[in-house]
Amino acid sequence: MIRQRIRPDMLPKLIAGLIILLVLIFPVFTTNQMILSMLIMSGILAIGTMGFTIVLKVGQFSLGQASFMAIGAYSLGIILNTLHFPFWPSFLSAGIISGIFALLIGLVVLRVGGIYFSIITLAVGELVRIVAENWEAVTGGVRGLTISPPETITLGSFELNFSAGAVPFYYFMIVLVAITSLVVWQIGRVRIGETFYGVAANPVLVEHHGVDPMKYRTIAFTVAGALTGFAGALYGSFQSVITPGEFGLWQSVQLMMMSVVGGLSNIIAGGIVGAIVLYTLSSELSSFRIYGIQPLLFGAAVILALLFLPKGTGLIDIWGRVWQKVLAPKAGTTNMSSCTKES
Amino acid sequence: MPLLELKNITKSFGKLTALSGIDITVNEGEVVGIVGPNGSGKTTLVNVISGYYHPTSGEIYLAGEKISRLYPFQIATRGIIRSFQSNTLFEDASVIQSVMLCSSLQYGTNLLQAFSGFKVYTNERAKIMDRAHQILKMLGLGNEGQVKAAGLSHGYQRTLGIAMALAANPKILILDEPTTGMNHEEAMFIVDIVKKINSLGVSVMLVEHNMKVMMNLSTRVVVLNFGNKIADGDPREIMNKPEVVDAYLGVETI
Amino acid sequence: MPPANILVDAFVQSCSYITMAFGLVLVFSILGILSWTHGQYYMLGAYVVYYAVAATGIPFPIGILIAGVLIGGIGILVKKFIIDRMANFLYIGVATLSLIFVFEGAASFAFGIQNKGLADVLSGVANMGSFSVSYQRIAVIVFTLLIMAVMYLVLNYTRIGLAIRAAAQEPAAASLYGIDVSWLSLTVMGIGCALAAMAGGIMAPISPVNPYIGRVPLNMSLLAIVIGGIGSLTGAIVGGVILGIINSIVAYYIGYFSEVILFALVIIILLVRPQGLLGASQK
Repeated sequence: MIRQRIRPDMLPKLIAGLIILLVLIFPVFTTNQMILSMLIMSGILAIGTMGFTIVLKVGQFSLGQASFMAIGAYSLGIILNTLHFPFWPSFLSAGIISGIFALLIGLVVLRVGGIYFSIITLAVGELVRIVAENWEAVTGGVRGLTISPPETITLGSFELNFSAGAVPFYYFMIVLVAITSLVVWQIGRVRIGETFYGVAANPVLVEHHGVDPMKYRTIAFTVAGALTGFAGALYGSFQSVITPGEFGLWQSVQLMMMSVVGGLSNIIAGGIVGAIVLYTLSSELSSFRIYGIQPLLFGAAVILALLFLPKGTGLIDIWGRVWQKVLAPKAGTTNMSSCTKES
Repeated sequence: MPLLELKNITKSFGKLTALSGIDITVNEGEVVGIVGPNGSGKTTLVNVISGYYHPTSGEIYLAGEKISRLYPFQIATRGIIRSFQSNTLFEDASVIQSVMLCSSLQYGTNLLQAFSGFKVYTNERAKIMDRAHQILKMLGLGNEGQVKAAGLSHGYQRTLGIAMALAANPKILILDEPTTGMNHEEAMFIVDIVKKINSLGVSVMLVEHNMKVMMNLSTRVVVLNFGNKIADGDPREIMNKPEVVDAYLGVETI
Repeated sequence: MPPANILVDAFVQSCSYITMAFGLVLVFSILGILSWTHGQYYMLGAYVVYYAVAATGIPFPIGILIAGVLIGGIGILVKKFIIDRMANFLYIGVATLSLIFVFEGAASFAFGIQNKGLADVLSGVANMGSFSVSYQRIAVIVFTLLIMAVMYLVLNYTRIGLAIRAAAQEPAAASLYGIDVSWLSLTVMGIGCALAAMAGGIMAPISPVNPYIGRVPLNMSLLAIVIGGIGSLTGAIVGGVILGIINSIVAYYIGYFSEVILFALVIIILLVRPQGLLGASQK
């Protein structure tokens, strides 16, 4: 019968697969713009989070990832508004520009170790924000920059009208998240992923084994910067108006929080889970209209999460443990069942 | 042509001269022992050869190619691999993972392959895993594959360090005091290992304190004292020279 | 060269950065962590002094001391109940960053976000020939010199100072010599946070007080210790002075891009000399 054909340990994977399927056809169930909007934002932040984690996996702690979102978003806006290119080539360019910035910044900044790197990325993040605030002619300064949505895509009788609602953006986000996950997954599978681990774990040792740590740090940082830039461009196009304040230290710190709370054992799952959970929390909290409650409770929630999560793990590891506990008795091991028999 | 040639190497740190006018050659197949009291410059020598320091003056040649100013990763890809006395491990990695990682690293990264070549990678990985098992077996760590490297005893960690260096397929293996902290049995085990490695065609530069190990293994011995080379030649002859005995007072005799 | 009173203003600003940077380096040397929250201890110190003086009429110097003790205490609690319970350095970093928002949120909630102004406690100006300096500003400079002198004496001439220096260089060895490193790290944390709070307090009559005033001093202190070398206490002072002077000169001539130039300068210094001007060399 069915029970005998489906191995118990496949259950979590089946459920995860089901969830992914639901996610893909989600807009069929609801056209509630708010929920869609939250999912879109979570997806965008998930990409940024994965970018942070990639850099973390190569041993560096970047506090300026939000600045790549800014570069992506502002590049898109500037290209659309001044050069009047069509949307999709502009979008592509925005991500590439972000990657180039990451490359240039990385070549310069990745040489310094640990804490200096964090301080400098924080400084770079603030720098980008300050430039965006003050270079009014190009970026619109504090008043903001308008970014028009993509043109409507017509595939036969099927129409994706980006100006009409959140649904097309939802699928835009899904595609971007899927591509990012693919890239991250591939990196993890092949040798470069191992090399990243070596560079992070013991750069001096790998240096004496033929690995140039700078090369791999730069690769990681550039890939992360490009992916985050694409996410930023999507963000800008979805929001229609962007201001420098949306890409500051708070946002960079949020990406880091999502990464760590989500869990570092699986870059993709941890990034997505962390982003969804923390973004939802942040949105719910901002509905309290009392000054100061949102950052206070959010920060406190993150700290509590860190205090209670078992050593070095994140939310996705809880998923793993829950399934371990649920599946263990069914596996028929002696210890569990003998305990209950004795009582 | 000698495999490795150091010509007139001097290394100073400000006013402190750690090495002064050092000439050393390592021919293919040799095991060259480097001895000297503490502070004689042995570790600096290893650091200069491996590229961690650049010599203040003098040149180093590997098979005729000048490598004096290269970075450690470039020197490593050319076949000079060293072991470390401390800071030898990848935290959280298991024994087999550490060895495999070191094999892997030697292959370098072709970016295109990195992002697309999964099939090639799985084939490679199987080969790397086999080789890692072989190396671990040869070094007596065959049963410790899944153990976390950080959990090994000190002696086994040093042996793992040698395994990791060997996994990188060196032409010249530089061993930095591999038997420190080991008892006689363990040290003799290391002697066996180094003999096996040498018989595989790997030239060895052995920096050592332990005289028995040194005498057992070296085809030639170089003696350093205060950054100067004071003797170079057959182990037994060297050890009886008065200037060597002078410099090395207090060391266990043979 | 900007007029003398601009330079004096800049020097006064850098005094507060110096005190904060000093506290940051102290904490980093012993605990190995960078307390990203330090700006908020500055901000809380300013609020304590504001309420002490404006609401309760406590004399200014006492107010500063109270700020130091109170916020130092908060720092110790944070260390004991949050930082020490974190599983690894990454978590500690996330926690101290989260605390930034906890404290800013709490301050917004409790005190509101409007600027609070504390009137000059010391009125009157000193005439220095071509320009005049308010006694208030002189007080900042005097206070900073006093604090630095006290710290210097404590670190170099007392047993606890010796313990701190030993633990900063070699924590494992220090504990073997009977130094209770965990108690010591709590003390150092307290001192580091107290310094930040007092820096905020002394500036309260000069700058407006709101929940976000901690951010710029933190950025500046970070840049100062990067310039000076992250492990070096004297480096923090040197870095702070350099930063203050450059900030004023650039701000006077170019205006808003001064921050950009400062950041760029720091990045350049770091690349040319990764250990900062006075830091220990890596190799």
